[in-house]
Amino acid sequence: MSTPTFSTSRSFTVRLIAAASLTCALGLALAATQWLMQPTQSKLSFIGVQAGAEFEGVFKKFTADIKFDPKDLATSRFDVKIDVASVDTQDGERDDTIKSADLFDVKKFPSSRYVADKFTAAGPNKFTATGKLTIRDVTRDVPVEFTFEDKDGGAWLKGTAKIKRVAFGVGQGDWQDTSTVSDDVKIRFALLLKKG
Amino acid sequence: MLKNTTQKYGGLAQLFHWVIVILIIYQFYLANKAEDLPVLKKIGVLAQHKSIGMTIFALALLRLAWRLMNPVPAVPAGMPRWQRIGAHFSHGALYALIMVTPLFGWMMSSARNYSVSWFGVFTFPNLVKPDKASYEFFLTTHHWLAYAIFAIAVLHALAALKHHFVDRDNVLRRMLPVKLKPGRP
Repeated sequence: MSTPTFSTSRSFTVRLIAAASLTCALGLALAATQWLMQPTQSKLSFIGVQAGAEFEGVFKKFTADIKFDPKDLATSRFDVKIDVASVDTQDGERDDTIKSADLFDVKKFPSSRYVADKFTAAGPNKFTATGKLTIRDVTRDVPVEFTFEDKDGGAWLKGTAKIKRVAFGVGQGDWQDTSTVSDDVKIRFALLLKKG
Repeated sequence: MLKNTTQKYGGLAQLFHWVIVILIIYQFYLANKAEDLPVLKKIGVLAQHKSIGMTIFALALLRLAWRLMNPVPAVPAGMPRWQRIGAHFSHGALYALIMVTPLFGWMMSSARNYSVSWFGVFTFPNLVKPDKASYEFFLTTHHWLAYAIFAIAVLHALAALKHHFVDRDNVLRRMLPVKLKPGRP
């Protein structure tokens, strides 16, 4: 049948709109779920070693923009912004030292950030995020291992990461020495998420 | 002769005594040194102070157990009653102080969220929750207990020297790896 490629018939228009709507609907359904972090029940902590003993601190203020769906890792994304001045190691003097120019230099670099947009499954409910962590003015690749458990309309995102502080510039001058305060720092987080 | 006799302290009691004396003197030196250091060096020196403090604590407990398992050399005959009371009181106080002082140091460190490590080999559990007011209390008490050790130890040493040079008895010799003077208490 020799008809032109584009038909202006009503039935074609209807079919076109239906196809477009269906594609849009599928597209929305395919995008990873947008989650809202519950700040009062979420925790971001780090563990360092000083003179042979571990100590733990938290960042009390941070935001986590989480788009995640275990069945749609391709469109999942983490964007975490940390207010560095909110650090709390339960000792005022140590907190002040951590915020000082030789370590985090809060005056110059008030926030740190972690952005991840590549995810792989690593077992039941277990995943690895590949992302970039920025502390001070240094950005480096940092993988994060986490679990995701979705239940009763909320989800728990819990995970760990390991970094070396000197590579991020957290340790200027004398503080580059890692014999008293370790280079290795463990990061732990537990985020309670509700659907956005 | 490892055990005590009624005349003399045995080898182990002497070892406990003199090792703890040397460690305590070194503790005063470390505490003083740490005071004026910048943060990073201070952490290192205080960590050493804490490791030695916990060593003294452990030795003090073992030493007390050993004392309870041993005869105690008799007080010299003819020693005035007030000196006897002074001796018993100061010895008892020193035993208590060498245990309570490191204990308060341990609590002080816990209250500031600085866990105590034994020379980087293992870490002791924190005894109390981090709290500024608790920390200030334990800090002040730890300092006063240390001053008390110093004061009583000096008195104790002077008394021993008095026994040795003035009374010319065996009281000091009993705590040393030397022979006792015969025919004297």
